[in-house]
Amino acid sequence: MSLSRPALVVKTAVLTLLAAGVVAAAVGFTVLRSGWYDIGATTQHLSFVYKLLEQGMQYSVRHHAMEVVTPPLGQAEALRGAALYRDNCAQCHGGPGVATAAHGMSMQPVPGPLVDAARRWRPRELYWITRHGIKMSGMPAWEYHLDEAETWAIVAFINRMQDMSARDYRTLTATPSVRAGDQREAR
Amino acid sequence: MKTPHLLLAMLAACLLLAGCGTRRAPGVEGDPERGKVALAQYGCRSCHVIPGVTGSETMVGRPLDGLAQRKFIAGSLPNNQANLVRWIRNPQAIDPESAMPAMGVTQNDALDISAYLLTLE
Repeated sequence: MSLSRPALVVKTAVLTLLAAGVVAAAVGFTVLRSGWYDIGATTQHLSFVYKLLEQGMQYSVRHHAMEVVTPPLGQAEALRGAALYRDNCAQCHGGPGVATAAHGMSMQPVPGPLVDAARRWRPRELYWITRHGIKMSGMPAWEYHLDEAETWAIVAFINRMQDMSARDYRTLTATPSVRAGDQREAR
Repeated sequence: MKTPHLLLAMLAACLLLAGCGTRRAPGVEGDPERGKVALAQYGCRSCHVIPGVTGSETMVGRPLDGLAQRKFIAGSLPNNQANLVRWIRNPQAIDPESAMPAMGVTQNDALDISAYLLTLE
């Protein structure tokens, strides 16, 4: 060996890293191509896969919602949002004392309740999630189905859910249906 | 020569435990392994943190760890399998103002679910 000692150390380190990279890529490809990871929704995610995907989702939402400007959200918006929430969101997210429809129960990830959403998300982030949806989670984008005011009304309602009892929720959502499509045609 | 024996015993114990899956608590009906899957399929995990079921951190409903140790459920019902099944199937029949919805759980699935919850020491 004519190499000096430092050069030998560097060469060994580089080759080891390369070999480790090749092995990791081969293992990753094998797991992917074999189909061993169960994509069915009756088996759970491995805990670390779930946490990783969830964390990434949260970072992405925070990042993308940064530029959104939140309008004033008052009682009127929240009231309007109640009917919109009942007609478009409760099927998967339920409400205090109100069950989701069957398809909202067995999804993986499960959509989950929104009574605690105001503790987890800022209004602009709830707006962004509603408008743009979440890839590969079942959460649809509502941009082409609800207008700006409707989307913010839903955010206003969700924001107040943490203070609602089952009875409050029943009362607030007992208003007549406002069909987004009908309103749009009238415009 | 004690160490190899100990290792062998530990290995045997691991294999035994792995073979059994979740063991049913004594005097309990239903299949806890099926119950664990049913907990996910009825969306229970969306509000309750449940050991052994993957999901987000949540405090909407109370965490169900150590359920077998609880003396009461739903605030007032003595904790036994029959009451758990009643509560899971129709919370409003016990507490009309409960925020926990009736999820349409069948009698058999409620038995399996309670069997799993009663393994949580």
